[in-house]
Formats: sequence, C-alpha cells, structure tokens
Amino acid sequence: MTSIDFEGREIPIEPGDTIAAAVYRSGVRIFSRSFKYHRARGVYCGTGDCPNCSMTVDGDPAVRTCVTPAVAGQKVERSTGWPSAGFDVFGTLWWLRAFLPVGFYYKSLHQPAGLWSVAEGYIRKLAGLGDVPIGHPPGNPERRYHHPDVCVIGGGIAGLAAALAAAAGGAQVVVCDEGGVGAKLPPGPLASRVAALRDLVRVSPRVLLIEHATAVGIYEGPLVPIAGPDALHLVLPKKVIVATGASERHGVFKGNDLPGVWLARGAALAVGRDRLTLGRSAVVAIDTEAGLESLEASRGADVPVAAVLVPAALAPRVPGGAPVIVGGRLVEALGRRRVRGAVIDGPAGHQRIACDTIVLALGFVPRDNLVRQANAGPVEVSVAGDVAKPGESFAAAEASGRSAGEGNPPAMEPAPLPAAPRNGFVCLCEDVTAADLDLAWHEGYQGTELLKRYSTVTMGPCQGAMCHGHLRSFVAERSPVPMLSGATTSRPPARPVRLEDVAAGARYPLEWHTALHDRHLEMGAVMEWAGIWKRAERYGDVLEEYRAVRERVSIMDVSTLGKYQIAGRDATAFLERLYPCRVADLKPWRSRYALLLNEAGYVFDDGLVGSLGGEGYYCTFTSSGADAMESWLRDWAESWGHSVRIVNQTSTLSAINVAGPRARDLLAKLTRDPVNARSIPYSGMSRITVADVPCLALRVGFVGELSFELHHPRLESVRLWDALLTAGAELGIKPHGLEALRLLRLEKGHIIVGQDTDFDSSPAKLGLEWAVKMDKPDFVGRPGLLRLASIPPNRVLRAFTFPGKEAPLDGAQLLAGDERVGFLTSSRFSPALGHGVALGFVYRTPNGFPTNVLAVDGTGRLLMGSVAPTPFYDREGVRLRA
Amino acid sequence: MALIIACPQCGPRPYTEFWCSGELPEGGHGGDPGDLEADYARVWLRRNVAGEQRERWFHHAGCRRWCSLTRNTITNAIHDID
Repeated sequence: MTSIDFEGREIPIEPGDTIAAAVYRSGVRIFSRSFKYHRARGVYCGTGDCPNCSMTVDGDPAVRTCVTPAVAGQKVERSTGWPSAGFDVFGTLWWLRAFLPVGFYYKSLHQPAGLWSVAEGYIRKLAGLGDVPIGHPPGNPERRYHHPDVCVIGGGIAGLAAALAAAAGGAQVVVCDEGGVGAKLPPGPLASRVAALRDLVRVSPRVLLIEHATAVGIYEGPLVPIAGPDALHLVLPKKVIVATGASERHGVFKGNDLPGVWLARGAALAVGRDRLTLGRSAVVAIDTEAGLESLEASRGADVPVAAVLVPAALAPRVPGGAPVIVGGRLVEALGRRRVRGAVIDGPAGHQRIACDTIVLALGFVPRDNLVRQANAGPVEVSVAGDVAKPGESFAAAEASGRSAGEGNPPAMEPAPLPAAPRNGFVCLCEDVTAADLDLAWHEGYQGTELLKRYSTVTMGPCQGAMCHGHLRSFVAERSPVPMLSGATTSRPPARPVRLEDVAAGARYPLEWHTALHDRHLEMGAVMEWAGIWKRAERYGDVLEEYRAVRERVSIMDVSTLGKYQIAGRDATAFLERLYPCRVADLKPWRSRYALLLNEAGYVFDDGLVGSLGGEGYYCTFTSSGADAMESWLRDWAESWGHSVRIVNQTSTLSAINVAGPRARDLLAKLTRDPVNARSIPYSGMSRITVADVPCLALRVGFVGELSFELHHPRLESVRLWDALLTAGAELGIKPHGLEALRLLRLEKGHIIVGQDTDFDSSPAKLGLEWAVKMDKPDFVGRPGLLRLASIPPNRVLRAFTFPGKEAPLDGAQLLAGDERVGFLTSSRFSPALGHGVALGFVYRTPNGFPTNVLAVDGTGRLLMGSVAPTPFYDREGVRLRA
Repeated sequence: MALIIACPQCGPRPYTEFWCSGELPEGGHGGDPGDLEADYARVWLRRNVAGEQRERWFHHAGCRRWCSLTRNTITNAIHDID
C-alpha cells in the first residue's frame, strides 16, 4: 500500500489524491494554526487560493497541500502550533485579542528602550506560518529560457483554447498550469472538455505545456518567470494571455475561519474528485447565479442539507428537497475547533441551526493579480475566461480563450465588490479581522493602500486572493472617494515562490576551461575562479613552485588572457587613440605595457600591445576583462569610424608562460629557431616553432625572470605543455599556479588590476604616470585626467616592506599613531628578500602621505612597515632582461 | 511591448542576447577632446528621461556588433535601429 508520513503516522493515499485529500480522509480536520491568534484552520478553498491548508512537505514550508499531489513516501507535517496544530496552547491568544489590536507592537512595545528587542524574539516565535528550514539542503533547479510567440498563463478551458487557437495561427506557445491540467475540476462535462483540449495540446508540435508550474509574475520585456518542479522557466514571449480563472468568493462573518466552513468549489472537489465525506449536516449559502451552479456541483455529497440561504430572486431555482430560507444571511459560525452550528438572520429573526458543515457559494472573484501587475507596468496582456468575466458558462470561457488566442483585443469586466465585511476574518493569511480594519480606520488609515500597509491585510501568501475585494468594499462603504477604495498595487510573486527557485541556475554558473584544464587536474591542481575561468591556484607546495621560477624553470597556463589581433588601415591610429601610451612608435616585433583607461580617466584593465610588423597588432588584456574588452574595442572603432578588423582570439589561442633563468635552455631543446637575446630581446616578439607547435613568443616581465609567453593554437596546447614538461624534467621544471604568480609579481611591485586598484584609480593614484603620455593630443580618458590634474589624489598606492619573518595578511589596516591611514591590497612574505613586501593604499594626512605604518590584520599581530621603492626584487631588471 | 531588438545583422532577437551600455551621450562618443566641460557632461551626467532615448546595445550573444537605437523608457518601444 502506498502511503505518506504525516507527523509520524502512515497515511494511505489513493491514486490522484492531493496531500490535503489524504490527510482529510485520515480524520484530520485542523490543517494549520493561524498567523497571529493560532486559530484552528481547515481546508477551505480547495483550489490553492487561501493559506489554510499550508503544511511543511519534505522540508518545504508553506506548501498548499490542496493543490499538491500526494506522492508515496512524502513527509508531511503541520508547520504551526505548539505542542501540535491539533492541540495548540497558544490558541488562547484569541481570548486576549483585546490586548493585541492591529499594530499593537507599535503602540505598546516601543518603551522602555530594549523591551522591543526582548519582545521581538517571542513574537517571532509565536507569529508566522512556519519556519524557514535553514539547514534543509536546497534542490538545484536549473534555469531554462523560452522565446515563444505567446505565453498562456493558466491551463483551464480558456487557457487551453487560447493556446490551441494561437498555435493554429502558426504561433509557438508556452502554456503553464499550477497543478496538473484539469486537477482542480470535479468530474463533469467541463472536466471532459478540458481533458479533450489537453490531449490536443499535448500532441501539438507548437505548444509546450508546463504543468505543476506557477507563473511568479509578469515583468517588463515581457518576462514571465514560471517556477516548475525541476526548473525555473524564463519565458520571453511576444504576447501574454492571462487565463488564471477565478477563485470562489471568500465569506466574511463571525467564525468564518472554522474548520468545516468550505467554499463551494472546494466542497465540490472534495466530494466529487476526492470522494471525501464532509459531515452530517450542512448549511449552504448562495448569493449569485454562479453560486447556484456551484451548489449543483457539490450536490453529489451525501450531506443532508439543513438549510439553503438564497436571495429571493434565486429561490425558485433551488432544487427541491432542501429547506430554503429566502433572504437569509449567515451571521455566525458556532464552534471552537470546528463548526457546531450556524446563526442565521432570516425573515424570522436570528435563528440557530445545528450543522457541522457550512458551504459558501457567493460567486467568483477573478484571479487578476497578474493582470494588475502587468497593467501597473508597460506590459500589455490579453485576458481570457473567468479572469476576464467570472462565472461564465464554460462554453463562453472556451470561446473567449479562442478569441484571445486569435489575437482579438481583450475585454475585461470589473468584478462587482462583495458586501462590506462586518465581523470575522477578512484576511486569513495575516489574521486581520473586520474589527481590526475598523480600529485602523479610526486611527486614520483611511484608504486601501494605507490599511494594507498598517494592518498587512492582502499582504499574506494568498496576496489578497481572499480579502482584496472585501478590503475595497470596507473602504467604499466609509468613503465616497473612489481612489481611496481602489485596487491596491499588485506585485510579484503572485503565488508563493521558493527561494531556491529565485536562485535557480546559481549552481550552474558559466564555467570556462582552458585547453589544459584536465592536465591541471591530473597534476593535482587546486582550482580557483578567475572571472568565468577556472585556473590552477597551486599544484602542491607554493614555495616549491616559486623556487622553480626563481632558480630553474617553470611553466604556467596563461590561456585566460584576453588575446586580440587588431589590423586594418586605421589600426595604428585606432590604438594610438585607445591607449594612453604611445603605439605608433613601436618597433616591429616589439611590445609595450599598456594601461586601459575609461572615459573618466580611471584604470580598468592593463596588458600588452605588440606590433606584428606589417600585420597589425597583437594585444593582450587581463583574464577577467577578456570578454567585455571586445565590446569596448568595437564601440570605439565604430564611434571613431575607424577601418579596423578586431579578431578576438581569446578562446582560439592558448598561452603558456615559460619562466625562469633556464627558460631559454628549455626552449632551445624544443626549437630550431633562434631564442637568444638578440633574436628575442626583452619586450621583443617572434614567431617560433616549439615542439612542432607554431607559437608567437612574447618576452614579458611579469614574474621578474627571463620569460617567454608562447601563444599558440588551442588544439596544440596539451602537446606543447607535455613537451615542455618532458624536456624540462632534467632542468628541474615545475608548473606554477596563481598563488606563486601573485608572490612573484608582488616582489616586482607589479599591480593586478582589480586587486590593487579600485573603481576610481587614476594612474596618478597608482603611481603609473609613466605609462600615460599626456603630450599625445587625445586618448580615451585624457580629458578626464586633465580634469583630475587639478585635484590632488586623496590616496595613493604605495609599496611597503615589513622587516622580520612575517607579512601582514591581504587587506590589513594601516595605522599611523592612532589614526587609520590606509589598507594593504596585496601582502606576502618574500622568500628572496627575507622580509614582507606589500602594496597598499594610504590616505593623505596633514603631514602628507604616511611613510611609516603599523599593519593590523586581525591575527593579533602588529607589524611595523615603511614605504619602499619598487621593484623589491632585482631592482635593475638584470634577470628580466637576461 | 516585447523587448525584441531587430539587430541589423541578425534580425529580431530577444534583448537578453544584448548588453546595454545605457543612454548615448548627446553628440555620441568622442567629441572635442579640448572641451573639458562638454567631456565632463558626456562622462558623468545622465538625463534619465522618461520617454524616448538613444541607446547603444551590444549583441554579445550574436554578431558581437553594436547598434544604436531609440527606446521609449516607459513602453520599451524600439525604433530607428542602426
């Protein structure tokens, strides 16, 4: 037998059961305890519109069990109430309600100071709709994009008809339904018709049907996020059709929230679909013609009807057999934990009727949350079916769906408001009673938006599905100003949405791998993120990797560098105007370090620019800026009307840096091309073939040793890497990762853009004025620098040494006397020099920029440091130029 | 209004394939490098209009070319793409 686990009890489930149906059949009547007063609540709407049947399912709180299919093995528990929802000692709060009026904590808990912080803890424990499961492992919903012509929200008869009509016109359609299609319908002609349409939709190649998926909102674009069972669907249609139908009108009277009070459609579903027994005696209240139909639908119940309350106009149409009270009005539902009777105000005055079930068929309210959301923004939507005109016949709803699908303009009728609430719960989610609204009104909150903000009416999980109309009629009765009783602004989410759905896709970030990724893993590399790339941080002992570079030879995968070839008639003029350094005077096959400035004059990237003789230029940029750089280059080329060709070779070329005093010896073993200091001097470039791989070799100086960056076709990368390691074995080769690189370059005093710079770092702040040629007539950022020239920088990047065997941590604060004067951006112990070396920003003080500082880094150490010239290592650059 | 951009190279594509670089400064990029006041306005001042504005969009998931267009910031209606 299949079953679910309900609070430790095995409860059998039948095919097609919702969780609520299975729990109800097992005898449970109290499904939850309410938000504030811990009132007993049971199944009420049966259609996912009210909060009453919310439970925790497999760790997810606030699951609407009446629309959630029961699946064998589910773990279901009620979220609220202590010691249990069935017997909740805090149910007594209801008798203290005189002391807990709306907004009571604003009024009573604000003094003495400190009272609120104590009280808040208790209130948070007592109030609410269950706990967020902090330790619960989240699912991993993915994110899918759809670009259909039409998105239909709602898979009822109107929605399916709209989808089919649009598809027949040639459109691609996405249609979603929050349950299974037809699951909210009791057996009958409507259910059969919906099933027939569903079958047509399923075989239509143009329609994608997403079931058990809720449309969260309608955003600009339009963008309709649909939270499905295993994915968040981001639908970007040309047109949106809302066919969310209508919910049954909520009834507001004293005791209206007791278990045993049902909305008619919920009752009809419980009886017709779920084969549940509602009770032994029912009072049925009917207000509209549509309500009469609802009664028809729920009459399958074998519940003897004790009384039917109808307006005079409908009385003749009530089917025979039941005692009819014409013009009768429900005043109160009696009972404490469930309905025991009803008080009726009829022609004969107040009258008590014993009953255990009250069925309300008061008409329909459009589920127009999404429509109102769209109308508040620039998105135009179509409407179809009950949401446009509640209570239509299903043939009319199908016709309106077809019409919307064919692209006809929508016709939406304003729904009539209910009678103003006198007593009982207006808002079931947030426990706001008519008395609460009355008090708030007298305190001056006289309008729907003010009442909403003050009492939180309409702000619960159901988003006003139950109470919005009642709130409006409450205000309309008291104020002649139509604006004050207007509809409140509707905002996403229209239906409850899980945080993990909002974060969908976060666990599947775009991750780029270099051609050597698998090699790094095989060599035991610890990988780290660098922009969207994964790079090797270290292979083992960082110090060993460092020593290989400084003493022998080492290789590093630098394929993530942005790599561009720029050629064409105006290539020189273009780069001359783009870079703040000189480009035109570059000798063929020579490269130069270059900053990139934005228009404000701030450094945002750096790299090399090299001349390929007559073939144009080869430019490299930092790994993190590699992708965005293309749009930057093209933007300027187009703006200036330059004739240039820009080829982004970032992902087609790989690059391996061969560095160390023996680097040349290693290359000589693998190439017949000359690699001596005359053929490829420092900052020179050359095309050489290494291990049969064609390479563009760049002599660079980032790590401060003799080094050759070998740029080569990506497909040859593994071969080149392996050849270098094999040939380098007898030279003591070892690859180095990012951590060794950070130390190596810091010893040379080189900055890393993004780590040692801020968003507003001008070259002057970084001490890089030498890389900017202000005598050039124009370059990007030059006007900005001219403006900045009159403003002395308030802080500058300085290099520091820390004598002793320790270095402060990255980010350490710098003090001079008692004053905080800056922070370190990079700091390491230098094995070559035997002391700490660092870069950091210092602020201007009345005595200029401090030169002696005390570094505090949270480890309890205080380290004295002082400003020093860079490079720290190999000041004359002898090793670099070897 | 559907945010579909008719890319001059690729045809109508959803806006999620594009990056927007914001409103196009009056007179476009560049301008007289000697006029610091005008450059200041171009770099730092935004009009933030409610209505029609010229913008630059980069088709990063397509042809990787820029286009200039006029977008109504209230309705997202787009025209004059080049």
